[in-house]
Amino acid sequence: MEKKLKKQTFFQRVKSMLKVDGRRLFLSPLLYIMIGISFVVPILILVMTTMMEGTVTVNPQTNLPSEPMEGFDNVWQILGAVSSTSGDAAAGMSMDLVSMCNINMMFFAVVVLVCIFVCDDFRSGYAKNLFTVRAKKSDYVLSKTVIGFLGASAMFIAFFIGAIIGGGVASLPFEMSGFNTGNLVACMLSKLFLTLVFVAVCVLASVIGKQKTWLSMIVSLGFSMLFFTIIPMITPLDSTILNVLLCGAGGILFAVGIGAISNTVLNKTSLV
Amino acid sequence: MNAIEIKNLTKNFGEKQALKGLNMTVPAGSIYGFIGENGSGKSTTEKIICGLLHPTSGDVKIFGKPLTDAETRAKIGVLIESPGCFPNMTVWNNLMLQAANLGLENPEEEIRKMLKLVRMEGAAGNKYKNCSLGMKQRIGIAMALLGSPELLVLDEPINGLDADGMRIMREVLVDVTKHGATVIVSSHILGELEKVATHYGIVRGGKMIKEMTAEELDASCRTYVALQASDMYKTKNVLCREYTRVEEDESGFLRVYDVEKPENIVTYLYKNGIVVTEIKTAKIGLEEYYIDLMKETGAK
Repeated sequence: MEKKLKKQTFFQRVKSMLKVDGRRLFLSPLLYIMIGISFVVPILILVMTTMMEGTVTVNPQTNLPSEPMEGFDNVWQILGAVSSTSGDAAAGMSMDLVSMCNINMMFFAVVVLVCIFVCDDFRSGYAKNLFTVRAKKSDYVLSKTVIGFLGASAMFIAFFIGAIIGGGVASLPFEMSGFNTGNLVACMLSKLFLTLVFVAVCVLASVIGKQKTWLSMIVSLGFSMLFFTIIPMITPLDSTILNVLLCGAGGILFAVGIGAISNTVLNKTSLV
Repeated sequence: MNAIEIKNLTKNFGEKQALKGLNMTVPAGSIYGFIGENGSGKSTTEKIICGLLHPTSGDVKIFGKPLTDAETRAKIGVLIESPGCFPNMTVWNNLMLQAANLGLENPEEEIRKMLKLVRMEGAAGNKYKNCSLGMKQRIGIAMALLGSPELLVLDEPINGLDADGMRIMREVLVDVTKHGATVIVSSHILGELEKVATHYGIVRGGKMIKEMTAEELDASCRTYVALQASDMYKTKNVLCREYTRVEEDESGFLRVYDVEKPENIVTYLYKNGIVVTEIKTAKIGLEEYYIDLMKETGAK
């Protein structure tokens, strides 16, 4: 039979797989739902907390009033806090509402996106078609990690835009105290690079769980919860190029290491 | 040259042994009918051939090369269980994904050709989830045929197909083998399989119990005499006295097996006061051969 397949180099293979995965992700309603959620959540948080700021509730049994509810002091608080060495607020240490309801919640949303995206390959049987032909497992893991990272980046950017719009709607100040625009960009970049670790973990959990999306989500969410309190400390608002480099290098190294484990899992386990 | 050679293949799922030293030889260019009961190990064997399951032990060679060879794997087209399409994507986009995975040089033209082959040209823009079961099977076949594979592995491809779909499937299978491809097809619809298969493999309990060509099957299929008479109940009783195997079939005929001369039956029945109204000789088909074989091996 006449063969119509091209011989492919590593770069051609990865490029074609990235194209396929990119096409799949950007044609999927899931991505747009997640981006929509990422966009709306900061607006809701900023507007609602501003509206409720200073509200005091009274305990009906003791008749004692609670502490007045605190809101955000400025827009950038929803992206993080300045580190304890350079500002008043201790980044990542306080566990109040404004410290928890911020962009770092997006790491949980990334789990949902990546786990559903990867597990769908196994649930639909697409992975079966893919691995029967000449797809290499390492290419698959690389492609999923890169595309998952792009999807996660889109969600973080949507959150950032939502935060600015929400801040404007809630009339919160945009002043930068203890950091500047460069630090803000570095903070966002650090967070984006950090998503590489989470995406790689989600890909690993998904290739272990395969059709069991719930299992991969539980494992990935468990990991996210474990590292949730560390994120503000390594990506404060006053991040510098050093934070970006460390998060970038750490993210890539973790992604490569975890990716290698995912590759081994795919090679050693049954694919259906 | 053999397209597939399997020796002593075993596969364990925990405590359960799905394959127990299965041997299989599929000649290149054949349509290999892979038959067996549910849970006999057909799908497991096919999944191992496609590289989707790892064998516990044994040797699998595709076109003389080990299963792990990437170039060899690229020669396989597969339809196992479901076509592996994304429900929210159109038929065209699903096929485009597979074409991109295969690295086809001219994907649009190839997809159009395959859709035409399975008579699905008009459904390219339909969402996969809106397709009927038969349409989904045809899409799966189109997907498996992308890239002109040299080995086609089809697991129950005619399930859910209507009469026209089955005819198309037969035409496709014959067509691909004319172009030199080898097809392994498993199905429970043995009547359909019999129309196209050139070789057969019958598997039971994780072991290959019989491999043969269509000619060998034909030679080993027993002939029988089917007849209708004035009093069927009496006829059966009378025939049972003289012949070892007499059965009633669905069409109301009495089948008498291992008869040397059919005219002897007519004479014998006439002597017993029975008039034969209709009589014909025929051979058992694959289905009956398979049932007989299952009974024999079951008894063992």
